[in-house]
Amino acid sequence: MWKILRPAGLLGLFGSIVALAGCASDAELDTLKPQGPYARTIDSLSDPVFIVAGVVFLIIFGGTGYLWWRFHDDHSDEEYPEQIHGNFRLEILWTIVPTLILVVIGAFTIVTLVDISSREDNAMALSVDGESTMWEPEVVVVGQQWWWEYRYYFGGLEGIDLSDARNLPPADIVTANQLVIPIGEEIELKITSRDVIHSHWIPALNGKRDAVPGRVTYWKVNADEPGVYFGQCTEFCGLSHSRMRMQAVALSASDFQAWVDQQLEPAAEPTDPAAVAGKAIFETQCARCHVINGVNGPHDDEPSKGADLVSNAAPNLTHLMSRSTYAGGIFNLYEPDGSLDRTQLEAWLRNAPAEKPAYAEGRRGMPALGLGETEIDNVVAYLQILGTIPSIDVIVATEVE
Amino acid sequence: MSESVAELTSGTGGALPLGAYSRPKGGGGWRDWVTTVDHKKIGILYGATALFFFGIGGLEALLIRLQLATPNGTVVGADLYNQIYTMHGVTMVFLVIMPMAAAFANYLLPLQIGARDVAFPRLNALSFWIFLAGGLFLNCAWLVGDAPDGGWFAYAPNTGVTFSPGHGMDYYAIGLQIAGIASLISAMNLIVTVLNMRAPGMTLFKMPVFTWMVLVVQFLLLFAVPVITVALFLLLFDRNFGANFFNPEMGADPLLWQHLFWIFGHPEVYILVLPSFGIVSEVIPTFSRKPIFGYEFMVFSGIAIGFLGWGVWAHHMFVSGIGPISVGAFTLSTMFIAVPTGVKILNWMATMWGGKIRLNSAMLFATGVVSMFTIGGLSGVTHSLSPADTQQTDTYYVVAHFHYVIFGGALLGFFAGFYFWWPKAFGHKLGETLGKWNFWLMIVGFNMTFGPMHILGLNGMSRRIDTYSPGFGFEFWNLFATFGVFVIASGVMCFVANVILSARRARGLPPEPPDPWDARSPEWFSPNPTPVHNFDEVIEISSLDEFWHRKWTTNEDGKVVRRATAAEVCHTGDAVGVHLPSPSYWPIVLAAGLPLIGFGLLYNLWICVPGTLMVLGSIYAWVFEPPDDPDGPFGEGHGHGEEPAEEPPGEREVASVE
Repeated sequence: MWKILRPAGLLGLFGSIVALAGCASDAELDTLKPQGPYARTIDSLSDPVFIVAGVVFLIIFGGTGYLWWRFHDDHSDEEYPEQIHGNFRLEILWTIVPTLILVVIGAFTIVTLVDISSREDNAMALSVDGESTMWEPEVVVVGQQWWWEYRYYFGGLEGIDLSDARNLPPADIVTANQLVIPIGEEIELKITSRDVIHSHWIPALNGKRDAVPGRVTYWKVNADEPGVYFGQCTEFCGLSHSRMRMQAVALSASDFQAWVDQQLEPAAEPTDPAAVAGKAIFETQCARCHVINGVNGPHDDEPSKGADLVSNAAPNLTHLMSRSTYAGGIFNLYEPDGSLDRTQLEAWLRNAPAEKPAYAEGRRGMPALGLGETEIDNVVAYLQILGTIPSIDVIVATEVE
Repeated sequence: MSESVAELTSGTGGALPLGAYSRPKGGGGWRDWVTTVDHKKIGILYGATALFFFGIGGLEALLIRLQLATPNGTVVGADLYNQIYTMHGVTMVFLVIMPMAAAFANYLLPLQIGARDVAFPRLNALSFWIFLAGGLFLNCAWLVGDAPDGGWFAYAPNTGVTFSPGHGMDYYAIGLQIAGIASLISAMNLIVTVLNMRAPGMTLFKMPVFTWMVLVVQFLLLFAVPVITVALFLLLFDRNFGANFFNPEMGADPLLWQHLFWIFGHPEVYILVLPSFGIVSEVIPTFSRKPIFGYEFMVFSGIAIGFLGWGVWAHHMFVSGIGPISVGAFTLSTMFIAVPTGVKILNWMATMWGGKIRLNSAMLFATGVVSMFTIGGLSGVTHSLSPADTQQTDTYYVVAHFHYVIFGGALLGFFAGFYFWWPKAFGHKLGETLGKWNFWLMIVGFNMTFGPMHILGLNGMSRRIDTYSPGFGFEFWNLFATFGVFVIASGVMCFVANVILSARRARGLPPEPPDPWDARSPEWFSPNPTPVHNFDEVIEISSLDEFWHRKWTTNEDGKVVRRATAAEVCHTGDAVGVHLPSPSYWPIVLAAGLPLIGFGLLYNLWICVPGTLMVLGSIYAWVFEPPDDPDGPFGEGHGHGEEPAEEPPGEREVASVE
């Protein structure tokens, strides 16, 4: 008997180890650690169901083990056991009981579904270019191989045509890979894509929603506390799908206002010779795909600058330095002490496809530009003046190898 | 007319266009296998091919796990990884689980209903060869170094020429299209077989549960495969002829592909698991020494799964933005499909209750299905909570879920079937010691590999990523899972060793006596291994578990007492002159033409010419090939209502439909 049960016992032991060790401490994408009301609603729906499922599993698993032990043929006689063909009542019972359990779960699920699908009016006061305005917090999210663009329209989205993601109307703020939001507010996301299907997911703030080209899908996020919340594209989108990440940066209302003010500033003008030379390189090389407001587009970011690209756009660099990550949220722009991570940025400018897989020859992803070392230094000198460095908290929080 | 046709194709004419060949006569060796129309040989061919592809798919799995063992893995690059994971999924679903189910269905279905063969034996051979052609065509993508890289689900528009400019997705579309033809032919064949060729007295509700489940699956295939066929054609036209079915730039909606794919894809899940449920429903009663508990509930729950399976596809699209009303509706339908599945689990346990359980390898694997599939079913219920699914979908939690369903539900069941029916097919049992090693290594390795994926998924690890960064808490369980896959591999090695060693041990020994397990269903009437003509005489069926009831009866005290020994009940297999369909060259020739057409579409349309000629020529020759070799013993009599030249033994000839 023990010969049979020993391995089963080992399996059970293994199961409990798995269950105990499940609580990893540094899991930035953990779905079980909600940091906002919607993620919490989902979590409080699924947690009890996990428990019910666990109990049912233990009954079945333990039951099977018990049956092995209790009804094991010990070959004491060759007699047949009683031939039972079924029990109608019993079978009706175990059809109805699971049905009832599922009816209850279903009711809670539908309530939660309605809850997370609803949208509220929560216009917040904001000062835009010195004029105070009421902004219904909403961000247009555009997925593209392999990075995210976030566009802010402070005048509201009414009359804004989002149906063609490659020709979006000029926005007040265009940024990439870091979704900056005020805390405690319902932020509506209008999600679309310029090429293939992506999926926008910041697990601490809510579940995910696909970015479908030609469609606009709706979703919302909300963060309790200021902080950085990691995200990842979760719909397979081609070669560098695993390197299409993003962060939500949640700021207090006043910090958010400060961030908006910074973003509305025009691009900085270079003064030192290296940066001036860098700007010239930008205009001849980078400007084929990237935009810096006022340099190769009007202040209001003229779209369709990435004529060389399959997807027609590359990240807007006007305030590059205000973001702590780049290249699809995978590289840190800064060292933990707040100084520029020059080595990585230079490597990126030297040969981007070697740093992040891309089909640059197929005009998807940043190509190797063939810049010389001096040119790279000049470009870095220019990029370095674009935008204000984010707070050290954000820089430290986004430290990912 | 029929005479001139017989003359035309008999092979004796010589001067006539199609007389150049002579009809295959069998006679042993490899020719026997490539021309066979015997459902048992075809079943074995399916099984062997499925195991071969299982090796390939397993190798791909190994590479996936090696790449993911450590953060920033560099075993294979992003490009190769995407090809490997795509081909792993496609291979395991279409080239392993489906044909393995076809192996069992082909071998056992005619035996379980007391028939001599399937309804259309040559079509049956055609199914196999077309399936093989599709599988090989798909894997040719590796040889040209350009395998599909869009995932087995191939979401548009990532699979269009803009984003997948190589030939990989063409191999996917054409390869699956070819394999789909095989599934459709086979589905029609088996449906006709079950509905028309059951032994006298076998009403539908006296059919073994395995036969029932296979029947349900064939109906699912019959209606699901056409949907993927349409989708693949649209994809092919988009990619090769500039159509815009899935091109959002031209106003197409890429969700069209998702709907088409999952309307096929979700019934496909039941296509994968129901045959295994049928196997488990045969193994558990035999080794619990009790009849199946609640036969009608088992059958109806299978049918219910078959029907409900059509109403849940959009749960794969909960985050696609299909709107809360649709999501709500599919949430509820998805939840309730758990009910009939749960009924099956509990009925299996009730079958074991009060039994005398013999825990041999087959039974271990069958009970393994009961507990492991339960995990997959329960995690499935947690997915059906659509708000929770927005966190879980496209994470490793889903990877864990469907491996518990397909590995735990389907594959373990097939292994139970291997151990159970091996003597039926090969005349000797597989070894029990290695069998138990096989089971324990596989089940421990399986849980080591896929158990932690639940945790990884809930910790936020996305699916289909070729690498991950350190610092997200993914390191430990990924490494652990990679160890697990080697334990699975060693379990599979035990199976391979078992097959080889038990065959070697059995060499020179007389075959296993009939009825090695004191079994219940009609396939065991025939001796081991099954003779080419299956049964010596027609079986009259009067009850479910007919075979068992011929051996045992209940006395006045309610005790089970022996009525006859297995040797008395079983056929001897020495009947001669049973009318059998003749072998044919045309199925394999026809099937070989299809990949040529495929290559032609990819590289040079001229290659299509020989392919098309092979297909059309084989169809032409096939049409004029009589079912029976005119030179054979039944050639004269067939179709004329005359008695065959030799008197068949037994009271009457086993029924056949040609």
